[in-house]
Amino acid sequence: MAELNKSLGNIYMSHYALATIASESALESYGVVGISGKNVVNGIAKVLVKDPTLGVNIEFENENLIIDIFVIIEYGTRVQSVANSVSENIKYQVEKSTGLTVSQVNVHVRGLRISYTD
Amino acid sequence: MAENPQDQNQDIHFQVIHSIDGQEFKSLVQASLTWLRTNQQMINSLNVFPVPDGDTGTNMLLTMQSAYNEIAESDETRIGRIAHDLAQGALLGARGNSGVILSQIWRGFARAMDNLETMDADLFVKGLVEAKNTAYKGVVRPVEGTILTVAKDMAAAAEEAAFESNDLMKVLETVVEAANESVRRTPELLPILKQAGVVDSGGKGLYIILEGMLRSSKGFSLETPLVMVQPIEGMKLQNVKESVEEGQDYEVVVDFKPEGNLDLHNFYEGLTEIGTSIQVGEGEGMYRMHIHVETDRRYDPIDYTMKFGTITKVAMENLIEQTGGIGADGKGLEVAEIQPGQIAVVAISPGDGISRIFASLGAAAVVQGGQTMNPSTEEILRSFENLPTDKIIILPNNKNIILAAQSAASMTVKSVRVIRSKNVPQGLSAILRLDPDGDLDSIEKQMDESLTDIETGEITTATRTVQINNVDVKEGEVIVLHNGQLIESTTNLEDACFEFLSCAGTTERERITIFYGANIDRPKVNEIADLIRSKYPKQELEIHEGGQPFYQFIISVE
Repeated sequence: MAELNKSLGNIYMSHYALATIASESALESYGVVGISGKNVVNGIAKVLVKDPTLGVNIEFENENLIIDIFVIIEYGTRVQSVANSVSENIKYQVEKSTGLTVSQVNVHVRGLRISYTD
Repeated sequence: MAENPQDQNQDIHFQVIHSIDGQEFKSLVQASLTWLRTNQQMINSLNVFPVPDGDTGTNMLLTMQSAYNEIAESDETRIGRIAHDLAQGALLGARGNSGVILSQIWRGFARAMDNLETMDADLFVKGLVEAKNTAYKGVVRPVEGTILTVAKDMAAAAEEAAFESNDLMKVLETVVEAANESVRRTPELLPILKQAGVVDSGGKGLYIILEGMLRSSKGFSLETPLVMVQPIEGMKLQNVKESVEEGQDYEVVVDFKPEGNLDLHNFYEGLTEIGTSIQVGEGEGMYRMHIHVETDRRYDPIDYTMKFGTITKVAMENLIEQTGGIGADGKGLEVAEIQPGQIAVVAISPGDGISRIFASLGAAAVVQGGQTMNPSTEEILRSFENLPTDKIIILPNNKNIILAAQSAASMTVKSVRVIRSKNVPQGLSAILRLDPDGDLDSIEKQMDESLTDIETGEITTATRTVQINNVDVKEGEVIVLHNGQLIESTTNLEDACFEFLSCAGTTERERITIFYGANIDRPKVNEIADLIRSKYPKQELEIHEGGQPFYQFIISVE
């Protein structure tokens, strides 16, 4: 639970809520074609998940958020650039909508989807 | 977008080109690169928000540079090979979101070129279609109004053009025109662009790349950047205020009518020496110039603009003063804090006093607007988009705003209900039914029902002589509307109030509430209130400062 202090009491944000924002932001990023389960074993990593908490891990450290996200990227895009914009987009969207500070976004590329082999 | 002056009225007939080989294509790409470099800053300036794509122009340029580097030394003549190398270079150098999309576009284009020797018009079309398909493959939720849309519109235009002509340059020309049109339409598709008053930067970059090819084949210069001109209504200048540069303390906005044809390029050039955050808008023969300048130079933009035409209006604001305050609409209004999952009410209010009343009754957002100052769909949309809930109720409080509210409702994924409140008392009556934790459907129903519980009177001064509903109205007289219908025109305020109160059957009711406007002073209000009190002693009388313009009184009886 993330906690925000307000004059009238506290606001609690669940992992689920934060994970939803993170995974939606990732899916809006160009090059990301899916969120993968974080716990799936190698080999079936390409299994796409619907529940955002399955592909996002959120931890708290000194009032800052550390977000890990597990994604599938389109084959043929420059993975580094895509991953960069995923992390920037997640940081921006989560900070904007919650007011919390995101100190780290770790993007785990779990697989590539091949639409065209060229 | 204005063409450079030197391009205007040039009607160059160039020879028909049926196909090009790899080397010819390479020189076109080089032209794209040069033209993109020339316009890099212009594209960078199309910035919407401080997320990833802050430097679209630079990112696209670096991507194109990396792409071109792969073919620069090549003497390969097969277009298929050149295109593949180009795509490979774009992939390796892709920078930022727009760079990645651009590399996908080249990748698709190259796939269509296959291993072929030359490209004719049909193959060019195929290239653009493949480019579009590949670009769309890379994202789960394509956002329209971006570079993707421009790529799509280009492909569609190319397919049509190839029916008409097999001249490659003719097809290219049509594609460039379509791209320009498509870029121009991006703010219609993507609200955030409209709010910022810009077109999509990635789309613009793609247009520049194609236009560079066309310009070089027509023999136009690739060294002088294009100058941005946007429609005046697209200039949302309050957004610019958020980024005040060090030392640039004053914002100056000048409206002017140019003498003869305005040489935009020249005009712009001079402005860059005066200040920053320059924007120029155009509409119906008029231009609007916006600039941030240092305190000492605050009159320079005015003197400068005078050389180009007749100034019609000047507005100057001290930005440093403003950044201390809250947003323009808020004015320190304390609105209800909404928890996720609760119902949030957005009220449209014609005056400050009424805004405060709505806020005190639990409105989560208040948008300024009323008679003759209808808020736009965007303003309404913006008011609730950032609220942390997806259950929204809008109280338009004016019959002319209901439509804008409904269209705002249709543009969001949130569940938005529009209560058809036609005036402020109806809106207030509705908001009293608000239970933030209640069920959206049942609250909506209760609010709808509340609208008929209340009799509303609006008292204002007639602006022209007219006859409506068999009532003769003379300009300057006081007129009375009962639930929106004109019922009486008199010479004084007292009579107007009593006429409404008797029509509304006040003797059978319990409470009279008066909101007085900005155009009447408190002693006069008290005087009339005393008269009402003595005539209706059994009814409770409440008086509030409404602050609305035009209407001396808005009265409700319930």
